Amino acid sequence: MIEKIKKIRFTPRLILRMVIAVALLVYLTWRVVQVTSSEAVFGADTWLRFLISGLVIGGMYALIAIGYTLVYGILFMINFAHGEVMMLGTFAGYFVLEAFSAIPGPGTEGVNFLNAQPIIALILAFIVGAGVAALFGFLLERIAYRPLRGAPRLIPLISAIGASIFLQNAAQLLFGPQRRQYSNPDLLWRGTGWMIPVGDKSVMLTYTGVFSFVLSILLMIGLFILVKKTKLGKSMRAVAENKQAAALMGIDVDSVISKTFLISGALAGAAGVMWGIHNGLFNHYVGFIPGIKAFTAAVLGGIGNIPGAMLGGMVLGLMESLGPALLGLDFQIKDVIAFTILILVLIFRPSGLLGEALTEEKI
Amino acid sequence: MNESLKRSLRLGLIFGIVVIFFMLIGFTNVAANMIGDMLGNIEQTSVNPELPVLNLVLFTGLMGLFTGVSATKKDGQDSWVQVLISGLIAGLSASIIIVGFILIVGSLHTQGVDFRTYLPNLGGNEIQYLMFYTTPLAAAVRFILIMVASSILGSLIVKSFSSGSTVNRALKSLQQKTTKKLDVQTLKSALGNKFILMGALVAVAVLMYFLPFVWGSYWNYIMGTVAIYILLGLGLNIIVGYSGQLVLGYVAFFAIGAYTFALLTAPEPHAIEMNLWLAMLIAVLVSTLAGFLIGLPILNLRGDYLAIVTLGFGEIVRILIRSDLLTSITNGPKGVTNVGQPFLRGQLFNDTNYMHLLMLLVLAGLFVAKRLKDSRTGRAWISIREDQTVAQATGVNTFRYKILALMLGAAFAGLSGAIFASRNQFTGPEDFTLMVSVNVLCVVIVGGMGSLPGVVLGAFVLKGLPELLRELSDYRLLVFGALLVVMMIVRPNGLWPVSRPKFRKKPLEATPDEPVEVEA
Repeated sequence: MIEKIKKIRFTPRLILRMVIAVALLVYLTWRVVQVTSSEAVFGADTWLRFLISGLVIGGMYALIAIGYTLVYGILFMINFAHGEVMMLGTFAGYFVLEAFSAIPGPGTEGVNFLNAQPIIALILAFIVGAGVAALFGFLLERIAYRPLRGAPRLIPLISAIGASIFLQNAAQLLFGPQRRQYSNPDLLWRGTGWMIPVGDKSVMLTYTGVFSFVLSILLMIGLFILVKKTKLGKSMRAVAENKQAAALMGIDVDSVISKTFLISGALAGAAGVMWGIHNGLFNHYVGFIPGIKAFTAAVLGGIGNIPGAMLGGMVLGLMESLGPALLGLDFQIKDVIAFTILILVLIFRPSGLLGEALTEEKI
Repeated sequence: MNESLKRSLRLGLIFGIVVIFFMLIGFTNVAANMIGDMLGNIEQTSVNPELPVLNLVLFTGLMGLFTGVSATKKDGQDSWVQVLISGLIAGLSASIIIVGFILIVGSLHTQGVDFRTYLPNLGGNEIQYLMFYTTPLAAAVRFILIMVASSILGSLIVKSFSSGSTVNRALKSLQQKTTKKLDVQTLKSALGNKFILMGALVAVAVLMYFLPFVWGSYWNYIMGTVAIYILLGLGLNIIVGYSGQLVLGYVAFFAIGAYTFALLTAPEPHAIEMNLWLAMLIAVLVSTLAGFLIGLPILNLRGDYLAIVTLGFGEIVRILIRSDLLTSITNGPKGVTNVGQPFLRGQLFNDTNYMHLLMLLVLAGLFVAKRLKDSRTGRAWISIREDQTVAQATGVNTFRYKILALMLGAAFAGLSGAIFASRNQFTGPEDFTLMVSVNVLCVVIVGGMGSLPGVVLGAFVLKGLPELLRELSDYRLLVFGALLVVMMIVRPNGLWPVSRPKFRKKPLEATPDEPVEVEA
């Protein structure tokens, strides 16, 4: 231990970092102690509510973050338009649910299809949402990224930013800038749920929240199996390891990359539909902030690392919902917390929570 | 043969989708309006909302022309019949998609379906217009006829201009004649002459002095915006173009400059009301300091990480400015009003004075940026951009130079922020969204990374042109996004790329002209 410490060269920059780290730690502990020790602003029920909302939103972040991580693992580029892919999934799911709420259900009078067959409607909404998002992920790679393979790294990133702006504005022009409301089936109506008694109050565990959380966990398990057990997963890992070697082993690198974009798009689309069902209101801007947050989550967990993305998403969701309360700050600051975490992780532990140290080339 | 047919088919389908996309975003109607303005066939005061059908025909024909042009091979190896067929195929495949769309939308519309809840650009009038005010079927026939005819026309045009044709040869000989007259070399040597150069410069200076008086305040406003974007572009060009660090939160420095200036000079909320020029200087210094402090921890990151972190930083600044936390300092979402304006001979600055100030600053900025580029520092930056590891190995202190670039870029942003706030007499958090950063980045990239004339050109193209085409302002960001992608694919070096410095060395004598074999 002491040997190791002796080996460290105390450059000014390292000292500066350490000073920042210590100052931050002191401040954070001071705030937390102050908030928790002074008269309780929030009761146990409020904390539980924060915890639940953090887990639900964390699940969605995790799904989107997996998309970033998959693409980054293979192409070493940030798919900046990934949040927009999610937005398109939200719109697609919305249109499916709207269509079902407009047509009558089979056999029943006065009940629309959405409430007569809610399970089928939801499954179809998710399939279409994920499918549309996957399609756009695929097209994105074909049009905006594939012609740029092998170019300096700044160039595909700028192209990705352009694609993101394009998709966002195209959605605004197509569907209008106003906010829209998801029409959920009565089964999953927003604002309904189980009541959990905490002390003399009770906290609502919303159906949509539980639904989203469970579905995101299931999708993550599915992805994990796909990557670990199937042939496609194997070839994806091989391409991520070394493209040339993978090509020499007979793997069609281009098609693997396309499939990666399809998978990550589908996950983002599913997350988008979930977002709509859980939060209700959305517009063309819905994908942007979650996209950046999910990127933060991916970096937090260690980019290129799939379990890392899942963990990072959950941790970020929790930090965002618990952080402002713990630090006694305003809730407007929520977004600032995510960005601050991103900056701090990149400064102090660029490899993330679970990532191994990356070589210069991959960072 | 088969392959070129497939190509025509594919391109036709793509163009068909593009045309439908245009219809869905309402661009078709806007374009028809613009064509109407050009032809003068719309009366300005007409109460009748009907657009002349001719405009739609012209627009569709134009799209068909593009289809035909892009579906035909440019090398001129296809025979006339092949070209004709490929134009036909492209036009047909494009029109099939459009016709399907028109038939579905049109028949639903005649049955009374209202699309506007989901697709706001497909109102009744618009659909009627897209059907040429007839039935869907008749409209479909018209679309097929127009698309196919114009597509074939486009293909034939390509064929007649392609190499080997008579038109091409005639053009080439014409080109040779004109280039002889307008020799670039003569122009250059003329500019090399001291007196002529001085004369030209004086003429330009006089012109620039008098233009703001002639333009009127509207043009001064637009050109002032362009000038502010040139300044911003020059600053970001130092960071992105010279040192190769992609910073997406550039708006943060702009905001810091604007807010520093505004808070120091406005009567609310602090009532400091400092001397304007001093406040401007302080604004520049504060943003430079911000650049230093931000750069310190993050400039070790590379490429995409840096982009996202700085993007986050830009958003943090905006959120903090408008948050309740800092309302006492920054006045929150309301923004700062009555920002100070400079005096000139006892009078408040008017738009002409601002324009002159901005022109001077742009000239000074161009000068500084040019000198920086040619200096030792500039060469260090470029070496970092090209290869950081090699730069480090050759003794460039990469961290120091990167932070210097960020500070200088931030200084430019702070200066333009201060002028921006002063000119608008107002500054609010919503002036500083991410889109400002993206716009500036577009200015730098479209012009050409690292190229000074490119920045000026980019600012004019991206900020000046949209003001001229006011009808298209809704589509501006859409075009920006598409432009970024297309530029990266087609012309990553920008509209006015930097000429790479070349080694001046004697040509080796006695180099045998060995043909280089290229493996297929």
